[in-house]
Amino acid sequence: MSMSRFLSKHAPTLLLTAVYAALVIYLSLAAEYFCTPNNLMTIGQSVAVIGIIAATQTIVIISGGLDLSVGSVVALTVVMVSLLEGKGVPIFWASLGSLTVAGFVGIINGNAVTRLRINAFIATLATLSIASGLAFVLSSGRTNLIASSGFRALGIGRIAGLPMPVFIFAGVFAAVHILLSSMKYGRAIYAVGGNYEACRLSGVDVGAVRRKAYLLSSLSAGLAGLILAAQLGAAAPQSARGYELQVIAAVILGGTSLTGGAGNVLGTLLGVLTLGTLRNGLDLMHVDFYWQEVVMGVALGLAVAADRLRQLRRPKGT
Amino acid sequence: MKLSLIRPALIILVLAVWVGSGCSRKPASKARYKIGFANLTEDITFCADVRTSIERSAEKAGNIELVKANNRLDGATALANADTFINQGVDLAIEFQTDEKFGPAIMEKFKAHNIPVIAIDIPHPDAIYFGADNYKAGFIGGEAAGKYAIEHWNGRVDKVLSLELPQSGPIPAMRMRGQLDGIRKHVEVPEKDILHLDSKNTLEAARRVVGDVLNTMPNAHHILVVTINDGTALGAIAALEISGRREDAAVFSQNADTSARQEIRKPGSILIGSVAYFPDRYGDYLIPLALDILDGKPYEKKNYVKHVLITRENVDEYYPRR
Repeated sequence: MSMSRFLSKHAPTLLLTAVYAALVIYLSLAAEYFCTPNNLMTIGQSVAVIGIIAATQTIVIISGGLDLSVGSVVALTVVMVSLLEGKGVPIFWASLGSLTVAGFVGIINGNAVTRLRINAFIATLATLSIASGLAFVLSSGRTNLIASSGFRALGIGRIAGLPMPVFIFAGVFAAVHILLSSMKYGRAIYAVGGNYEACRLSGVDVGAVRRKAYLLSSLSAGLAGLILAAQLGAAAPQSARGYELQVIAAVILGGTSLTGGAGNVLGTLLGVLTLGTLRNGLDLMHVDFYWQEVVMGVALGLAVAADRLRQLRRPKGT
Repeated sequence: MKLSLIRPALIILVLAVWVGSGCSRKPASKARYKIGFANLTEDITFCADVRTSIERSAEKAGNIELVKANNRLDGATALANADTFINQGVDLAIEFQTDEKFGPAIMEKFKAHNIPVIAIDIPHPDAIYFGADNYKAGFIGGEAAGKYAIEHWNGRVDKVLSLELPQSGPIPAMRMRGQLDGIRKHVEVPEKDILHLDSKNTLEAARRVVGDVLNTMPNAHHILVVTINDGTALGAIAALEISGRREDAAVFSQNADTSARQEIRKPGSILIGSVAYFPDRYGDYLIPLALDILDGKPYEKKNYVKHVLITRENVDEYYPRR
């Protein structure tokens, strides 16, 4: 591959890498405690939960879908694991049971989108509402503590000095990267997202490809929920509210096209890190609460504008 | 002749049925009352406790039909709910909404239909007040934090983390001001050492922001954390645990809800105290007050909750273990 083709193909990722590097350099100079080991680990802890969900949301979006239910699936998982633990179920089985419920939401999403042909936005908005409502019903709107110290190690434990959630975060990204770049299913994801009709006519089981994507998305939201519950040591039904927008923002910022067919998980990783680092830097510099929201909104606006520009420049018919 | 007798008899019968079925709006003549309760939101443990206690007390009273609504932390929704209550013919409304700018508009609607209103936590014009004294409750918690610093840290406070809710207006702000004034009554803390943080009213936002700012104070080993409510206190504690800074801090919160009481009971917990508002007992006061108003009995125009600091020492006294 020639240098110009390489640059052209990876332009969004390279651009975001440059932006992220500039952000890190700026914050290292502007915020006294930014470039300290403790702060870097704090960033890792903070982005792990969102990052795990974003990795599989990338798959869904590349396949031409969208999953808005992820935040509510996190909340439902958090509530389920605390309730089951509170009823004396061993924490391993409580976690497995909660993950199963999360997976069930993914199965509903996938079937609603592919078999019932409901618009992904509407279908996952419905499951967002159902899962959130169930979290409140099951918990009666109350926050419950999680007692198991073994379980809490999943959120606050360290391996070789690094927080456990960072390892899981890295593992999920590596797995999704391999899936998208080296596996047959990954190629099918790009194909279905790029030209659904052509794929269907050429015999690809497009429905199955998308159903698997939604299942993976919900399972990773469930895993993120377990990590969040372990980090907090408490389960609140209003947990993870608005996570779906943060996740989609990170994926789009990372160069994945909202219309499907293009993108990669490395870009998403950069998107997650950029948003997480930006938020951390604003906190360290004690930027006013309201301005923080403005800055985050501007970052997302620029990302969507960049996506739109990419689409306009793309030759018609591709 | 027969017809002329039947007609008056029918009129008397219809009138008797009409009166008997409760046409009069005079509360004292009614066997049952319809009371509307619009909750602030259903997303916060405190509000869920308030609603549950009102439901329980209304059922206990035996002559109340409770109509419920959710104001969803939104003044416009509260206005719409007021209309719904009026349409449903409530005899009295218990209004829990914290946007004081909507208070006059809500009251105007109820007053036009002669429906008395009990306002929870936020005074509404001409409504009977019931609820927290937010400044006082904050001050109680702040005083406890200040005393803790004197007793355990020889009065040294390196930083105060104030986990606030800036989007929610003056009432939460009063609570936070009370906490800071309470601390300053006992220890001197310069303004530069007080960090005002946006908790966004969630555990994870509190965890994130506290985790971030802890890195800016590696040499602070006497950190007082005061919070808008228990959920944000739990988020702050999680951040301190993740950062390995538990020993550097003492946390004081507000509400003393179930999760905070569980945390306070834990051996070695750094949640030293939480000021109780007893939301789980609001109904025990609100429903009798509503019945007094409807029965035309004397009642107080302003009714304040008694606030108590719940600590490990007294938690079982106020909330016996089941």
